[in-house]
Amino acid sequence: MLEIKNLHASVGGKEILKGLDLRIGEGEIHALMGRNGAGKSTLSAILTGNPAYTVTEGTITFRGKDLLSMSPEDRAREGIFLSFQYPVEIPGVSMVNFMKTAVNEKRKYQGLEPLSASEFLKLKREKEALVEIGSKMQNRSVNEGFSGGEKKKNEVFQMAMLDPCLAILDETDSGLDVDALRIVAEGFNKIRKDKAAAEACGQPATSAIVITHYERLLEYIRPDFVHVLYNGKIVRTGDAQLARDIDEKGFDWIENEADNAGK
Amino acid sequence: MRILDINNTDQQLTLEAGQEEHFLLLDPQHVKLRIQQQEGSRLMLHCISLAPAESGTCELIVEQQAEGCETRLYGLALLKGEQKFDLVTRVLHNVGGGYSNQLFKFVLDDEAQGSFYGELKVLPDAQKTEAHQTNRNILLSRSAKIQTKPQLEIYADDVKCSHGATTGQLDSTALFYMQQRGISLASARRLLLAAFLGDVLQGLPEETTAQLEQQIDAAL
Repeated sequence: MLEIKNLHASVGGKEILKGLDLRIGEGEIHALMGRNGAGKSTLSAILTGNPAYTVTEGTITFRGKDLLSMSPEDRAREGIFLSFQYPVEIPGVSMVNFMKTAVNEKRKYQGLEPLSASEFLKLKREKEALVEIGSKMQNRSVNEGFSGGEKKKNEVFQMAMLDPCLAILDETDSGLDVDALRIVAEGFNKIRKDKAAAEACGQPATSAIVITHYERLLEYIRPDFVHVLYNGKIVRTGDAQLARDIDEKGFDWIENEADNAGK
Repeated sequence: MRILDINNTDQQLTLEAGQEEHFLLLDPQHVKLRIQQQEGSRLMLHCISLAPAESGTCELIVEQQAEGCETRLYGLALLKGEQKFDLVTRVLHNVGGGYSNQLFKFVLDDEAQGSFYGELKVLPDAQKTEAHQTNRNILLSRSAKIQTKPQLEIYADDVKCSHGATTGQLDSTALFYMQQRGISLASARRLLLAAFLGDVLQGLPEETTAQLEQQIDAAL
């Protein structure tokens, strides 16, 4: 699905990623953990083509295509979805208009006819029910005046509408209370296609990168792999147990080992 | 609503006591319009410049000469290439109990140049006046220019007045957010600009609003 090789990236002239390698197979869930400033969000910005970030070295291949040569919108249309850590408020642009434009531009890219108003409404209702989001929210401007929990739910709703094959959840747990976290995580689990569901509809199973500081989210969204990012590189990879160890012991021991290995 | 087709003219109009008028000025080129308002009259004027000539000027002068008048001036200008458009408004509150609201927005691309000069005068006798003026502008290119000069002269003390002028660019975080959802940069810009301009069209008949929205979309 995704292959990152020797990725170096910087923002504002400062190098953040310093030779990151990561391979994500179809249907796999990878958790990315690490302290603030380790480069977690930089990686999501690079994958989605945020113009504020620069790749200085390395390659990224997504479903056989050179990702770095694609525009942000084409990456999204190819199936990359980022659930933003801070979803943006867009006053004056209604959720419906926003979502309809997004869905139909993706369809156009795929060579499909745009959805009619009634088809769109049907899809919208179906996904609203799936992620337990009220349809009232859809009459408002994008994220405007939404609470932290509503914004994150709205991200999951958008993911449901756009049906990506690689979802990046960037600190989806930040600012959420336990109930909101559960709803958002369960929403994600319902949307995501596992291998069986994928085979049934002939589409790829959903892969995910879950960026988080805490183990809590990973109790709901079970990772196949857990990676620790430190100084712009992945310094340790394990299974779900690694996240539990970090929850108990912090990052120090991993970082110390990495520092010692580097000496 | 009446469409005023008055290019290259200097005109004077009077709204008699209690009279209500709604004017629409489309692509004014060289227009000077003076409107005098008598007691309790209500004026709404939309000045929409979507396909202006190379250079245009529009001066709107409104004088509230008797009590209880209401004045609403709304306008937008989309300028590109080497277009120039200068807008001047002069709203005068001579007597008390009046209301005025001005809202003007410019969107400038390429080498376009615009200016907004907004004069708001509240004379000493015009107590209990409520007057607002807002000018907001978006520059789409580095070489586009806008000059904005709000000019408030308030001589009465028991009034409620506000003004604001801002010039900026499209919100790059909002643009990226939309692109991440698969919306092209061009569509994202149009959505943001339509949202920015939307409130200028308030008060227009539904049909006219729909027509203008289409024209705006085509012009962006």
